[in-house]
Amino acid sequence: MSVSAGFRWLVVPGQADTEPSRDLVGGKAWSLWRMRSLGLRVPPAFVITTKACAAYFANGALPDGLAEELAVGIGLLEAELDRSFGAGPRPLLVSVRSGAAVSMPGMMDTILDLGCNDEVERALAAESGDAAFAAEVHRRFAAFYGRLVLGSTENLEDHPDTATVRAAITADTGRDIPTDPGQQLRAAVGAVFGSSRSRRALAYRRHYGIPEDLGTAVTVQAMVFGNLDDDSGTGVLFTRSPVDGARVPYGEYLPRGQGEDVVSGRVTPKPIELLAQRAPAVHAELMTAAERLDRHGRDAQDIEFTVQHGQLYLLQSRPAKRTARAAVRIALALVDEGLITPAEAIRRVSADQVRTLLRPVIAPGADTGAVLAASGTAASPGVAAGVAVSTPEEAQDEPGSVLVRATTSPDDVHGMIAAVAVVTEQGGATSHAAVVSRALDTPCVTGCGPGTVDALTGQLITVDGASGRIYAGQLPTTAVDETRDEDLRRLTAWAQAGSPVTVAGSAADAPEPVFDADAIPPGQLGEDLPAIPPGTRTVTGALFTAPDGVRAAVAAGVEVIVAPHRLPVLLAAVACTERTP
Amino acid sequence: MLDPSQLTVHALTLRQLASADQIADITGQTAAEAEAALDKAVADGTVIAARGSFMITPAGRAQLDTAYPEAFAGLRSDPAVNAAMDSFEAGVNQQVLSLTTDWQTIKVDGQPVTNDHGDPSYDGKIIDRLGRVLDKTATVLNPVTAADPMTGRFVDRLGLALTRAEGGETDYVSGVRVDSVHTVWFQMHEHLLRLTGRERPQ
Repeated sequence: MSVSAGFRWLVVPGQADTEPSRDLVGGKAWSLWRMRSLGLRVPPAFVITTKACAAYFANGALPDGLAEELAVGIGLLEAELDRSFGAGPRPLLVSVRSGAAVSMPGMMDTILDLGCNDEVERALAAESGDAAFAAEVHRRFAAFYGRLVLGSTENLEDHPDTATVRAAITADTGRDIPTDPGQQLRAAVGAVFGSSRSRRALAYRRHYGIPEDLGTAVTVQAMVFGNLDDDSGTGVLFTRSPVDGARVPYGEYLPRGQGEDVVSGRVTPKPIELLAQRAPAVHAELMTAAERLDRHGRDAQDIEFTVQHGQLYLLQSRPAKRTARAAVRIALALVDEGLITPAEAIRRVSADQVRTLLRPVIAPGADTGAVLAASGTAASPGVAAGVAVSTPEEAQDEPGSVLVRATTSPDDVHGMIAAVAVVTEQGGATSHAAVVSRALDTPCVTGCGPGTVDALTGQLITVDGASGRIYAGQLPTTAVDETRDEDLRRLTAWAQAGSPVTVAGSAADAPEPVFDADAIPPGQLGEDLPAIPPGTRTVTGALFTAPDGVRAAVAAGVEVIVAPHRLPVLLAAVACTERTP
Repeated sequence: MLDPSQLTVHALTLRQLASADQIADITGQTAAEAEAALDKAVADGTVIAARGSFMITPAGRAQLDTAYPEAFAGLRSDPAVNAAMDSFEAGVNQQVLSLTTDWQTIKVDGQPVTNDHGDPSYDGKIIDRLGRVLDKTATVLNPVTAADPMTGRFVDRLGLALTRAEGGETDYVSGVRVDSVHTVWFQMHEHLLRLTGRERPQ
């Protein structure tokens, strides 16, 4: 499919084409082109350009000739997949997505399964042998269309079937979903264009000085289905282990499964080895694709794929989620494989991730025989011990205390900043106390029940925010030593080379004058950081180990930050040198 | 309605230790108005000043507790406000807190892990949903906003925080030391509870 000549408003990102302009086709279509140019199979697609968007705003309607070109574009997808838009026996459904050259929030997100109507639902039910699946596709499409094209503000996703979704849309907007798929498509394209000037999109551009008339492209892509027969399925593949970073592909496959099944956890997928047994050629093709995406992306990838009638389609590839340990391992492996430089590696691992790795845990066996003083919801990980106090003022006045409250209000934030750990009687993992503690990287246990404040106040306790347990007394802990772990040691050396400040483990040789934030009475500290006196050469104190403190120190031009753990501070300093929002 | 001086004292229950500018940002007063109001509060003993920052005193808290029922009598007896608050607590408040949690923590192999913001599409989806919830919040709180301009001001400040988060300033979703979505939401929640005389539900 490299037929892009002859179109006025469309671009077809074909394999052999020259690189399309991002300004014209948007970032999403550009990445489709990139996958195709790597020789990978993605579901066929075409793009309506930003030029058509500009014409839409000039006309107040879709420009002349666009409707005809949309029909031709759909014809290309039909021909490539041997399916029909809006008709059986093998119906074609498409996704419709916005995509601007630069990231532009506030625009309409994706409409899936466009092209559905009663007839298509019947055809899809017959083809897949799964009437419930076909009904679900129709229901979801109706909810997408109602919200995004017809502008319904109802919670359409909560309705059980298509009929009730449509009734809710009509009650809310007085309009109904057209049955003609061509009409659905034209309306969706117009809605995407319109959304590029939504209130939020305009607010965003005004704030960041992006031209307000910058429009969007629209990508129309064929939907593929993993539940059509025994030679179909869907899955995800990580090119490296997301748990420890090992260079071993790790994945899951669900035969006769549709994308949502894997994500929703409704069905338990099988290890990827099942695909190797069932369809070795497809498995081999997937492994080749994974290797190419990993090398080309220069990072561990999380790849979503679907097999339809024995044909592999790659749906999406993006940098994989990972644990802190895996982030460190992968960054070092990429350097050793020659894919990235040490200077890049220190930007691939965040200060937060290293802080997570260095976090102490209760020493093995130390909790056996310890007295459980209270327990609740594990709301923010980490272990800390201190004397329990019941007011934010005491937490500020007595450094190293644990703040125990029935519940927290904004009044408590200073106390939470000062405390080594936070415990509440009420609330769960999403309470204000939990959100604030996680933002502060302070261990927190919530929902310990009524009476906890009275029971704990005045006692020395150990709070384990990872297990939700609170022990009487101070339990011994262990932690990873950054100077003994080979990966962390190498990263530290690179980070010091790339850091705008020196980070020292002790104040021994630090140049004067030294500013010690810990010497400021806590009562004088608000939510703001203290001002660093002009001429300061060295800063020290807990405040300057957190990312915002490091940023302030770098901005003030200090030479040395003294911190017990060097690497997280170095990484935060490195991150300051590239931040230009 | 609270008088201008009480309004600044009230703002100090939402943000402890704040400058006159920071108070003005919360109340919507001009900086000069806030300064004058704070000076009066200091003279009354409801606020203390230290090096450009202000803090509420126990007397200030007591005075507010006395003033609220009368100042917000109309609001508190309005069934539309009551219904709006029920909907706020059960709906958008839960959604914002759970989206903020999703923003901070992701699941890797079933285990919670700190979000390193390395996946723009994950972050983008959360910000997008936050945007929709904030739009809905404005609608839900309409009966309150109609009677209390400061609530409307919170809605605007939430929009500004979201815009900055959308621009890649990741602190502006749940950061504690900036006026992030969560910081402003936490303040607004407390403001609404004080306004309506409700208890903080869990």
